[in-house]
Amino acid sequence: MRKFLVLLLVLSLACPLLAAQAEQPKTPSVCIVVAGGLGDRSFYDSANEGITRLAEEFGTVTGVIECKEDGSLYESSLFDAAEQYDYVAAVGWQFIDALKKDDSVLSLFPDTRFLFIDNALEDFPENLMCITYAQNEGSFLAGYIAASLSQSGAVGVVGGDDNDTINDFIVGYEAGAKYCSPEIRVERQYANTYEDPAKGKECALALYNGGCDIVFAVAGKTGEGVFEAAREVDKLAIGVDGDQKYIDPDRIVCSMIKRVGQSIYDVVSNPDEYFRGGTVWNANMETGYIDLGYGSEDDPQQVSNQLKETIEALKQQIISEEIVVPSVFAVAE
Amino acid sequence: MDLSSIFNVGTLLNTFNTATIVILAGLGCLMSEQAGMMCIGIDGMMTAGAFAAAVGSWYSGSWLVGVLCAVLVGLLFGCFYGVMVVRYHSDEFIIGVAFNIFAVALTTFILRTVFLQSGSFHPATGEIKTLPYLSLGALGGTNINISLMVPVSWVLIALLQIFLYRTPYGIWLHASGEHPDSLRSVGRSPEKMKYLGSVLCGLFCGLSGAYLSLGYLSTFTENMSAERGYVAVACVIFGRSNPVLVFLAALLFGFIDAAGMRMQGLVDPTLTAAFPYVGTILMMVFLALRNQRKLKAKAGHS
Repeated sequence: MRKFLVLLLVLSLACPLLAAQAEQPKTPSVCIVVAGGLGDRSFYDSANEGITRLAEEFGTVTGVIECKEDGSLYESSLFDAAEQYDYVAAVGWQFIDALKKDDSVLSLFPDTRFLFIDNALEDFPENLMCITYAQNEGSFLAGYIAASLSQSGAVGVVGGDDNDTINDFIVGYEAGAKYCSPEIRVERQYANTYEDPAKGKECALALYNGGCDIVFAVAGKTGEGVFEAAREVDKLAIGVDGDQKYIDPDRIVCSMIKRVGQSIYDVVSNPDEYFRGGTVWNANMETGYIDLGYGSEDDPQQVSNQLKETIEALKQQIISEEIVVPSVFAVAE
Repeated sequence: MDLSSIFNVGTLLNTFNTATIVILAGLGCLMSEQAGMMCIGIDGMMTAGAFAAAVGSWYSGSWLVGVLCAVLVGLLFGCFYGVMVVRYHSDEFIIGVAFNIFAVALTTFILRTVFLQSGSFHPATGEIKTLPYLSLGALGGTNINISLMVPVSWVLIALLQIFLYRTPYGIWLHASGEHPDSLRSVGRSPEKMKYLGSVLCGLFCGLSGAYLSLGYLSTFTENMSAERGYVAVACVIFGRSNPVLVFLAALLFGFIDAAGMRMQGLVDPTLTAAFPYVGTILMMVFLALRNQRKLKAKAGHS
């Protein structure tokens, strides 16, 4: 009886081990290290969606590390991730200093593949790929829509803070608005945070009070406050990164979509085609990583079909480079 | 860019709306300050209150229940603070800092494990009922909409002013911090008054949290108070724990913040974010100079 029990115990211990060995992971594991926190229903959530899809479709082992805008965590979190995962995606322009160092995680983990999302280094080793997005192109369309819908002759934008990536949105937005009506005023407001919706609401209210009747939110979770402000004063807003129409279908006219998750998904699921170490990949409108979303068909639409057609035509012009949207980044061709 | 785009009705409205968060928390902080305890933990109490308010309002479908939940959670935190500081003589600052860290971690943990959401609370079914809004017509082209909690906070300021300076309880509360032995000599327990101070501190911080998640915004987000509690502490010190002065200090802060934000076109935006803090330093210098002058005047008399 005793021997039997011992045997049972040993077997029960061994079973999970055997099972684990039988089930070798088919795809490499991947971890995203986000500079802020999940739940912004925008940038970081989009990245998370990408790896969630990987887990669902390929059974990929995935992980998320949130830094919550704590600068002291950026570097150590990358190390933590690199120790355990085959692919590490640093999601957020904020990681630039941690990756730029001489003894950075890149040189200490040469076998790990790194993705730097939303920003680019100047020269970097083969195990890193930088992915930037042509947010200026999508923001151009958003600016065009804003200017078309504006009756007051002023449109606004709330940015997370004053840095190149956010300014790239704003430059495109401004160009689009001016392209539609050269007289329009484009006002900007920086919240200096991506995690504080209350601050975002203050910024948006300042813009609405200042005469803007449509505001583009480019500030992650801070942007939620922009939508709250739009509801309070009953004016319009434009979402960012994900299709945010569902948050307030009556007031969010469209969203500038940046498929961060899709790009991570593509690189990890099909590295032979997508992973180009040592290069910067500018995911743009042509390849479909930048787009404009109007929510689902059941949602009330503020953008007329006619305007949508104009936007579609503009999109083609941008893709064929008939229209060159200005950018903060000097894109190396 | 002209002055009217920086100083207009919207700026004032913005000032009052955002200052209410700080005012309510400041009222809490000054109650414990009156009893001689510096409660740095109000930031955490606000976060916990905001979470309780959002969950309570969503669960019951009534904003009133949400506010009551926030008050209840605030009271719990206040009691705990009182027990630790009065009974076990632990360091008020350590407890306060622990509160701030604990509240953020606890609310985040519950949000993620119980409600299976991260970042912010957006229930799939049902909705978070928010505090009613009062529409006071339009002024200068701006519609004046304020949350019910804004006038409530003004009433509370008046009540607290009377409570602190016109009732024996207020005097006792103050004495429990300043001269506990003299209070004991008239047969009153300073410990009881200190408990009262810390419990009331929790109550008002809970209200502040409720305003944050049900009044100013309509949801709870992680680390929602975003260090506004510390601004409240600064206001209490600047306003010398007097409700009306704390109210004015909070308005001044709110105004600097709102006006600073609107100056982004003129000044570098990273600099405007520092305005409230530059304001704090200037105020403290002013306070120190005034105290010194008073001391000198006293020395001159004697």
